[in-house]
Amino acid sequence: MDDKERRRRLASLPFSEKLKILEKLRDRSRAIAASGLRKTVRQEPEQAPNNAKSKP
Amino acid sequence: MVIIIIGTIRSDESHVRSDQPQADGVIGMYAIGGAVGATFYLEPSATADVDIFVMLPTAPGSSLLSVSPIYDYLRARGCRIEGERIVVGDWPVQFLPPHGALEQEALAAAAETEVEGVRTWVLSAEHLVAIALQTGRAKDYARIVQFLEQGAVDAGKLNGVLKKHGLMSQWEKFKRKYLQE
Repeated sequence: MDDKERRRRLASLPFSEKLKILEKLRDRSRAIAASGLRKTVRQEPEQAPNNAKSKP
Repeated sequence: MVIIIIGTIRSDESHVRSDQPQADGVIGMYAIGGAVGATFYLEPSATADVDIFVMLPTAPGSSLLSVSPIYDYLRARGCRIEGERIVVGDWPVQFLPPHGALEQEALAAAAETEVEGVRTWVLSAEHLVAIALQTGRAKDYARIVQFLEQGAVDAGKLNGVLKKHGLMSQWEKFKRKYLQE
């Protein structure tokens, strides 16, 4: 099924069914937020401290 | 008259019956807007909260409108407040009195529907698009594109709403930028 057809099919669902999907999407977003997966940018120091050992 | 509070309506715990606030006269006419309202017409897309446009009755002897009676009503039934929203069931809900002629008209023209046997109202597709255009954030524009791509708006009705509320120039700009017309 192509994306257009999938969207058309989802749009044609009854509102109550769509609300159940919204709840699942909301719960998934919350789970992702709680897991910290959205924090993708690690704070790296610009320069390694003087006493840092380089990795082999 | 009914209010739908998503989450509670489907919950077996009836600490808030979905049709109580309006029936009890806490609010006047209401309609679901925002992303949840758009979902009535489009495929579902993730949203964190529910926007409900609501006509608030004025207190006797006062001309001030306030959402506090709704919050007081719901809080007394176990709902908790989170910033500007009140959490009903699992949904943070924001009650928004209509600001300006467009939102007032949108509320009056809301479409009636039924969710699991409970009567409720959703803003029309054309009013959702017009309000999104007026609000003008990136996510609002993305939603307008969804409405257009899925043919979920009546072009004649939309033009009428946009003209009536002085949004034609914004609409032309939007079309030039996002629809490459």
